[in-house]
Amino acid sequence: MVAQQLVNGLFLGAVYALFAIGYTLVFGVLDILNLAHAAIFMLAAFATWSLIGAGVPLALAAPIAIGGAGLLGIVLDRIAFAPLRRRGAPNLIPLISSIGMAIIFGAIARGIYGPDERQFTLGFLQAPPLHAGPLTFTIVQLVILANAIVFMLGLAWVMRSTALGRAIRAVAEDRIAAALLGIDLERTIAATFFIASALGGLAGILTALQYNSVQVDMGAQIELKGLAVIVLGGMGSITGAVIGGFVIGMVETLAVVFGLSEWRDAISYGVMFLILILRPTGLFGKRTLRTA
Amino acid sequence: MTVLADFYAAHSKLIDQVGLDALLALSLSISLQAGQLALAQAAFMGVAAYISAILSLNAHWSLLPTMLVAALCSTIVAGLLALPVRRLRGIFLAIATIAFGEIVRIVANNLQISGGAEGLSGIPPDATTPWIYGTLAIVAIGLWLFSRTKFALAIALVREDENAARGVGVDVGLVRFTTLAMGGAIAGLAGALYAHSNFFITPADFGFGRMEQILVWCVIGGITSPLGAAAGAALLTILPEAIRFLADYRDFVNGAILLVVVLFAPRGLAGIRFGRRG
Amino acid sequence: MKRPAPYALALALACALIPAAVVGPSPAATTKGPAAGKTVKIGVIADVTGSAAVYGVQQKDAYDLANDDLKSGLLDAGGANLSFDVEDSASDGSQVANLFQKFTTDGSALILGPTLSGEARKGDPIAVLAKTAVVGTSTTADGITALGPCVYRVSLSEAQVVPATVARTKAVWKYKTAAIIYGDDNAFTKTDGDIFKTQLAKAGVTIVDTETFHVGDKDFAASLTKIKAAKPDVIVLGALAEEAEKIIQQAATLGIKTHMMGGNGLNSTKIYDYAGPAAVGVVVGAAWSINGNYTGNASFVQRFKKKYGVEPDQFGAQAYAAAQLSAQLVKDGKASKDEMCAALHDLRVAQTVLGPIAFDPSRDVKAAPVILQIVKGGFAYFH
Repeated sequence: MVAQQLVNGLFLGAVYALFAIGYTLVFGVLDILNLAHAAIFMLAAFATWSLIGAGVPLALAAPIAIGGAGLLGIVLDRIAFAPLRRRGAPNLIPLISSIGMAIIFGAIARGIYGPDERQFTLGFLQAPPLHAGPLTFTIVQLVILANAIVFMLGLAWVMRSTALGRAIRAVAEDRIAAALLGIDLERTIAATFFIASALGGLAGILTALQYNSVQVDMGAQIELKGLAVIVLGGMGSITGAVIGGFVIGMVETLAVVFGLSEWRDAISYGVMFLILILRPTGLFGKRTLRTA
Repeated sequence: MTVLADFYAAHSKLIDQVGLDALLALSLSISLQAGQLALAQAAFMGVAAYISAILSLNAHWSLLPTMLVAALCSTIVAGLLALPVRRLRGIFLAIATIAFGEIVRIVANNLQISGGAEGLSGIPPDATTPWIYGTLAIVAIGLWLFSRTKFALAIALVREDENAARGVGVDVGLVRFTTLAMGGAIAGLAGALYAHSNFFITPADFGFGRMEQILVWCVIGGITSPLGAAAGAALLTILPEAIRFLADYRDFVNGAILLVVVLFAPRGLAGIRFGRRG
Repeated sequence: MKRPAPYALALALACALIPAAVVGPSPAATTKGPAAGKTVKIGVIADVTGSAAVYGVQQKDAYDLANDDLKSGLLDAGGANLSFDVEDSASDGSQVANLFQKFTTDGSALILGPTLSGEARKGDPIAVLAKTAVVGTSTTADGITALGPCVYRVSLSEAQVVPATVARTKAVWKYKTAAIIYGDDNAFTKTDGDIFKTQLAKAGVTIVDTETFHVGDKDFAASLTKIKAAKPDVIVLGALAEEAEKIIQQAATLGIKTHMMGGNGLNSTKIYDYAGPAAVGVVVGAAWSINGNYTGNASFVQRFKKKYGVEPDQFGAQAYAAAQLSAQLVKDGKASKDEMCAALHDLRVAQTVLGPIAFDPSRDVKAAPVILQIVKGGFAYFH
């Protein structure tokens, strides 16, 4: 049973990690906690659902939705954050702005799709589970883990080896110096939002597939969990978000194993609180962006 | 006169809600005036609400003693929270206090004495409109008098530039502690009144959703203006009822108003009314 | 006084007949009761938006259908101008309170709702103070009807459903051990779990594992892995449909083949839609069966499906039953709030889509629970 539980925690953590990367990226670069991230997570899942419903195969629908999520992130920035940046508003204000956008996104989704949960009618979701010795898991879970790893590695490569990645890291480190070095701030920020929101959208699609459930409220839980993940990992650190995601996933699973399921969330929040008190930079963070 | 009486009879609940929400907004506004993004008001409110309800239900205390004891407890909790978070600033402080709030909610959910998820029911509705607005008036006057003291000046200084404040001898730690404790006290009074105005409380009443609401009121009204915060609370409490005719579009309108105010009236309502203060 | 001219008499007769003709052919022609001609408004408080919207929308749909049926004569209100005024409380306790205040001061004769038991605890006392009767259609926690002498409900509570569920399944499945998994942060699921625990203990069943989850959880792998290791004879779910369907499906994925059962929360076709074959065999203690042979049930299901494109669930059915009950009271001449409370007290029986219902002395509904089993594409009675 222990082995199975470890596997359970692994799959749970993969999605947390993907979601948290987007969160931490925006924070690292702009010092903003984007509370509309969970709304984009949800909208990408619905977009995929709608596309599949219209006959588009998953392999095409998902990339479209992910790209759409990225674009939506740029739109979000243009509407809710850029004007405040120009004005030099304190960090609290973009937080509120993101709450407003989250409410609007949620209202739009509810208007189009209603409050009910939707399912996919994809063959591979109904496939029988796979076994490897004492372990049981589904194809979907493998797909998710694979996607998570591929995209995380991809992001790491972008961050380390491309001009864009360097630009993002520079802006995260010191915005003014980066501007002086000739980096186009607004374009870099737009790119950051694109990447962050695309990853958030991917997390949403994978979550929707994993539990075969798309619903307007689906982002609520993961939004707060995501906070715990990035605090643990270090706000602004991508490595931290990844490792933090898996750790929190594991902690939650183990809480159940030890019979503490009522306190499961309290444990995650407790970890969050303790980290902030004892080591606010988390496991890997400085308040700049660090990569894998 | 009967027009007023009829209006009151048909809207007394809403009127009471406005008063309570104004109190909550005031409680957060104090911390915000010190530049502290301490988002645990909902938890302080919850602690007080539960203590006040338990005292009424189990020990049959009347409203005033429960209010005082409950507010004292929430103040102590606020003070206890102030210690570990004393070095945190900005978003970090916000997240830490949100985490604290969630832990308090989960504790209330799992304890027998708080009724767990089923909550506490049958709380005597002693907190009538005079009680609520009386408390609000006393708190408002108290805060106004307080704003005339030197300590209030120190608070503003800490908000503007913490290091400069320290440089001129302000005890920043004391300022942060005091503002948090004051916020805890006021939220505590609000919590006790809330319990005695709603018949029933449940842990979900005091979670992140409520905290987000209070924060939004303060931002809409003007972060540094208590009057603005109270006005923001009043406006946003009345809004869902006023736009009831918009039916399914209400949520959208809520979000849109929030966005519009944030983008175009950065100092909130207070900014619109009073223009740029020096 | 002059006798009216013959043709005036004929004209008067024609005028009396025309409304009946305009209403059209209907299976239940409206009669003329003591409240004919009076306008009766009944307030409905439902969470049409917000976290409880999945239930509130069904309720609103049911009342909107009832309004249609009143116009077409399918629902007979004895010639009174009866309408249901459905207002959205948005899953927000404050709005619930405000709506209760509205309906107790705007001349409404009766209040139906609210959607959740917690909301009832907040709002019913307001109606009690204003001496307005309240009929709950989905509030199933303990102590709701005790809130006041005019608080009734047509929804079978878990306390009424669970004992029958346990007794029937134990007789057929003959289990000795059980595992329970229930939601600990929702008043309904927690009560459900607690009542199952008590009833199972009473029936001499040993509980080998207890797991909890939170509303909104989607991943139950950890809890189910533990339950599987404990090898219970039956697994009990204290859950609402959204979590129940995932628990059932994930259990099947993990290779759990144990019998499963649950309460009212599982009475939804969504569960089979989601979990497919994994859901077949799950026993549900319910208050209504979509296949039930009750008065007007089949036609209700048909009309609901035609109007909304989805089948009604138990929430919709219970709401419609309250509408039927209201129409019956109005037909008997009850048009004001004072008359309503007394009428509910004196009610002998009302024929509804839930079957014949009456109220017991504590104002809970007197009806027999139905023990259902999920089968391919729907529900069947469990034996």
